[in-house]
Amino acid sequence: MSELTLSSLKKSFAGTDVIKGVDLDVTQGEFVVFVGPSGCGKSTLLRMIAGLEEVTSGEIVIAGKTVNDLPPVKRGIAMVFQSYALYPHMSVYENIAFPLRVEKLPEDQVRTRVSEAARVLQLESRLQQRPGTLSGGQRQRVAIGRAIVREPRIFLFDEPLSNLDAALRADMRIELTRLHKKLGATMIYVTHDQVEALTMADKIVVLNAGRIEQVGSPLDLYHRPANRFVAGFIGNPKMNFLAGTCTAASGEGITVDLGPLGSITLPRPGSAALVGQTLEIGIRPEHLSLDDEGGFSLTIRPGIIERLGIHTVAYAPLPNGDTFVALFEGDPPVADETDIVVSVDPALCHLFDEAGLAVGLATH
Amino acid sequence: MSSGRPMIDRYRWYEYAVIYAGMFLFLAFVLSPFVEGFLVSLKPLTHLFSSPYRFWPDDGSFDAYFTIWEHVPLLGRYIFNSLLISTVATVVVLILVVPAAYAFARFEFPGRGPLLGAFLGVNMFAGAVLLIPLYRLMRSMGLLNTYFAMIVPGVAFLIPTAIWLLRTYLLRIPRELEEAAWVDGAGRLYILRRIVLPIAAPGILVVALATFIGAYAQQFIFALTFNSKSELMPLAVGLFAFFGKERVVWNELMAASFVGIAPVMIGFIFLQRYLVAGLTAGAVKQ
Repeated sequence: MSELTLSSLKKSFAGTDVIKGVDLDVTQGEFVVFVGPSGCGKSTLLRMIAGLEEVTSGEIVIAGKTVNDLPPVKRGIAMVFQSYALYPHMSVYENIAFPLRVEKLPEDQVRTRVSEAARVLQLESRLQQRPGTLSGGQRQRVAIGRAIVREPRIFLFDEPLSNLDAALRADMRIELTRLHKKLGATMIYVTHDQVEALTMADKIVVLNAGRIEQVGSPLDLYHRPANRFVAGFIGNPKMNFLAGTCTAASGEGITVDLGPLGSITLPRPGSAALVGQTLEIGIRPEHLSLDDEGGFSLTIRPGIIERLGIHTVAYAPLPNGDTFVALFEGDPPVADETDIVVSVDPALCHLFDEAGLAVGLATH
Repeated sequence: MSSGRPMIDRYRWYEYAVIYAGMFLFLAFVLSPFVEGFLVSLKPLTHLFSSPYRFWPDDGSFDAYFTIWEHVPLLGRYIFNSLLISTVATVVVLILVVPAAYAFARFEFPGRGPLLGAFLGVNMFAGAVLLIPLYRLMRSMGLLNTYFAMIVPGVAFLIPTAIWLLRTYLLRIPRELEEAAWVDGAGRLYILRRIVLPIAAPGILVVALATFIGAYAQQFIFALTFNSKSELMPLAVGLFAFFGKERVVWNELMAASFVGIAPVMIGFIFLQRYLVAGLTAGAVKQ
């Protein structure tokens, strides 16, 4: 069942369009992640769903009811803020109990619900402390506790992990996923970190400049990016893009001349109209191997090499000034300022037309 | 060599000498009237006019602190009036200023900037400039010789500073705290009462103290102009009772001044620890 529907949602601040028409459907129990670069409108979109920002035009429907003009509390949502927004003068218990106090729930019910939330979040021993005495991860859990006690239909998270250090962030990712499984509630999560998006989401919504670029499962977006923006945004290190001119296109394959880097033929059908267009080949750094057997090979001279144990990343300048990135498993014999030959299977490459849209599908 | 201090706090001996000399000079300048006033209050009156003048009272005593109550029976009333006028003024200012400062800090409304500017403008008039119009106003309303006449003009002159002080403090409270409460179903007034006021408590206290001091200092001029009833006089005016026809009873005057200041000073010693703001720690990760 559809839990949340956004239709042609728009928002402008003082004449500037921030959200330029968003359509989205979220199913009950889904973990949806809004991801995009800063300034893409993802937080604004979340705040519109929460009821913290006015809707300029369009509709927000939660559980079959239009909520455009309802205050947050009547929408059945709860929100966790980036800064946690804990009340410094109240104990952890009172912080979690706050929404119930507003509702004027009887004391015994407040106690039951708060202790249930504290149990789920392992905060039982902290209930009498003030937020100021807690660590970042604990504060985060208190903020989540305050959302849980409301028993909302939809949880909204606004970059909740961005204030934590890397190790804690990884732990909290797992904890949030576990919580989602346990509660079975719909969650909408905003982040600029694609690792959070890929690891936690059932469905990722990639936003850019106020529009949805693509909606899909994490692997969908990784394997079948619909356009150049999504291809460049999802995946780490970033996909390499090589521009060239299409010299031939038929039912058999598409050939692109990459200038000094040679010519590549992608085994996928293409219309003859592509010939003469400037296309971009997208090569994921992890698809490159250190031999010339892949089908398309090129010689690069890495300037910087990062050795991470599990894999090695080489950064090499291209003739046009861009940086070409290659990722190898383990610790292969590569060295700074020494030419290496890398190759890739053309079937794995992505292809984008002049408008940045994907042409055909890469195999995986 | 390790003195236990961070490098940035370490000085050469001559730097210390300059620092301490500077502090001594400053403190001497500020404190010497108090010291001399206190010493005068200990001396018998005859000593004060002896020459050569001696600063140290050889046969000093606290007699003046007892005789003041007999010579000026209304002294207790004067001290009470001073505290009453300042306290009422402070309470009234707070009642008016807390909601106003919150509105100036959080709401967008037409005329907000000009209004704030106007409040600042009011501050640039010394109360004395407006004494004559105020006097006429009070007289036509029949309010001369009342507490009202000494409190209300004071309140009017204290409000602008208080609004500016408190608004600045309220602006530092993260908006997300209020948004979180709003998402959880709290209304504006509930948020103001349960979230904003408790967090702003140190700021409100600072404003209250500043207002109290202001009211205490400025009541003199309003009392002198708008009041001629001696039982309503605040201390600053009441002290004139020690100015006799032929002589000024300096030692008792000083003793009465110190007695009058004492309650306020003791209050401040207790309150100053609340001035250390630390209450917002943990609200938002800094």
